[in-house]
Amino acid sequence: MMKTFLVLSVVCLFSFVNSEDGKPARLLASKTILNQYLVEGKDLTVEYNIYNVGESTAVDVQLVDMGFPQSDFETVRGSLRVKWERIAPGTNVSHAAILSPLKPGYFNFTAAEVRYQGSEENSEVQLTYTTAPGEEGIVSRKDYDRKFSPHVIDWVTFAIMTLPSIGFPFMLWYSSKSKYDTKPKKN
Amino acid sequence: MATSRMVLAALAILAVLPVFTSGDTCLRPSVVSQTYTSSEAMMATETVVIVEFTLTCANNLKDVNLYAEINGRTLPATRGQNSKTYQVSWSDDHKNIPAGTYTVRFFDEDKYAALRKAQRSGDNTADIEPLFTIDVNHKGTYSGPFIQAEALATCVAILVWYLAYSTKSNLQS
Amino acid sequence: MAGGKLQKLTKEEELLLQDFSRNVSTKSSALFYGNAFIVSAIPLWLFWRVHQMDPYQSAILFVIMTMISTWLVAFAYKNVKFVLKHKIAQKREDAVTREVMKKVADDKKMSKKEKDERILWKKNEVADYEATTFSIFYNNSLYLVLIILASFYLLRTFNPTVNYIVSVLAAGGLLALFSTSTPAK
Repeated sequence: MMKTFLVLSVVCLFSFVNSEDGKPARLLASKTILNQYLVEGKDLTVEYNIYNVGESTAVDVQLVDMGFPQSDFETVRGSLRVKWERIAPGTNVSHAAILSPLKPGYFNFTAAEVRYQGSEENSEVQLTYTTAPGEEGIVSRKDYDRKFSPHVIDWVTFAIMTLPSIGFPFMLWYSSKSKYDTKPKKN
Repeated sequence: MATSRMVLAALAILAVLPVFTSGDTCLRPSVVSQTYTSSEAMMATETVVIVEFTLTCANNLKDVNLYAEINGRTLPATRGQNSKTYQVSWSDDHKNIPAGTYTVRFFDEDKYAALRKAQRSGDNTADIEPLFTIDVNHKGTYSGPFIQAEALATCVAILVWYLAYSTKSNLQS
Repeated sequence: MAGGKLQKLTKEEELLLQDFSRNVSTKSSALFYGNAFIVSAIPLWLFWRVHQMDPYQSAILFVIMTMISTWLVAFAYKNVKFVLKHKIAQKREDAVTREVMKKVADDKKMSKKEKDERILWKKNEVADYEATTFSIFYNNSLYLVLIILASFYLLRTFNPTVNYIVSVLAAGGLLALFSTSTPAK
C-alpha cells in the first residue's frame, strides 16, 4: 500500500515537473524581401521572422531556405541554414541574409522551411513553412543605372563640350556689336 | 595509513575537479568575424546589420550557446551548419541605426543569466563582462542624391537660351 | 546694247540682290554646316553615357540622325540669319557710316557715290558677320534646350532608341519651324 502510494506520488510529481500544460509550441514564420528594387549584381536583403504563438518552448528550431539556387543567386553575407536551441512561447526571433541576383528577369521567391520540436520532451519534428514573397522582377544593372545613377561627371563633361558651340559664336557677335554700337557723341 | 591515502586521493580529485567543471565556460575565446551593414536604402527598407563569426575556445568547448547585446537589445545567436559558426542579425529603421561604430557584446548562458538578473533588478548592465565583443562599422545607409544633375543641367540650359532669346528680341525691336 | 545694259548693274544693285536672296556664300555654308554638325553630335555623349546606348550597336542610327539634324539646324541658321541681317544693318548704320567716313575723310579723290558704296558694303559685311554668329549662338542654345527637355522629360520612359530618334527630330524640327516664323508686329 505504502509502496504504491509512493510510486504514484513520484509519477505525479514527475509529470507535474515536466509537462507544460500539454499544449505544444506553434511557430509562425515570415520571409520578407526588404528591397525597394531588385537589381542584378546588387544586394538583396531577405529577412525571416519566427514567432512562437504556442504555449511551450520550441526546441531545436531549424530554418532552411532552398529558394535561392546557386545558379541564380550569390551569397554575400549570412547563412540560409541556421538553428536556434529554443524559442520561448510568446517570443520571436529574426534572421537576415544578403544575397545578390546573378541574372535579370522574373523569379519566383518560394517559402523556406522551419522544423522544430513542439516541446522539451516531445521529440516529434514539426514542419512549417514561412510566407513566400512570390514572383518579383529583377532589373538589369544597365536599366537601374540609367534610372538612378546621378551621372554628374557625364553632365559636367557635356556642359564643357557645349561651351565652344555657345561661347564662341556669342563672343564673336558681341565683339562686333560693341564695336559698332556706340552712340554718337554730342558735338 | 589507509585514511591518509584516502584523504590524498580525495584532495587530488578536488584539485582536478576545477579542470572538469571549467568545461562549462569558454576559455580564451578566439573569434573570426565578418560583418555587414546595409549601404543603400533602395536595397533595404530597413537597415540590416549582420555579424557572422566562428568561435574557438582554448578548452575545445563546443556547442556554446551565445546571446548578443546591441544598443540595449539582446538577441540569441543562431547556429550554423558546423558547431563553430554563428550569426546575429539585427534590423531597424534607418534613422535608428545611424552611421558609426557599434560594439556588440556576446554572453554565454551564465553571463546572460547574470545580465537578465541585472536588467530585472535595474542594475547597470554595462557592468556585466561579456565573453567577447565584436565591433561593427556602419558607414550609413545612402538614400540617394539630393540634387538631380539633370534638373540642374536643364535649368542652366533654359537660362542660357532665355538670355539668347531676350537679346534676339532686342535686336529685332 | 545688251552688254551695255548689263554693265549698269552697279555694286549697289548687286548687294541689294544678294540681300534679298536667302542664298548664302559657300564660305557661309561651310560655316553653317560645320557648326550644325558639331551641335548635332554633342548630345550623342548624353545618349551614350546617361541613356546607356551602346555606341557600336547604334552607330548607323547615330550617323543617320546626326546628318538629318545637321541639315535641319543649318536650315534654321540660314533663316534666322536672314531675318536678323536687315535689323542689324539698320542698327549698325550710324556707327559704320562714321567709321568709314573717318577712314576716307582725307581722300578727296573719292566721289560721294563711291563713299556711299563703301559704306553700304561695310554695312553689309558687318551685318552679315553679326547675323551669322548670332544665328549660330541662338540656334545652338535653343537646340540644346529642346533636346534636353525632349529626351529627359517628355520621352523619359521610352526605350533609348525611340527616345533618341524622336528627341533629335523634335529638336531639329522645332528649330527649323521656329526659324521660319516671321516676327509679328
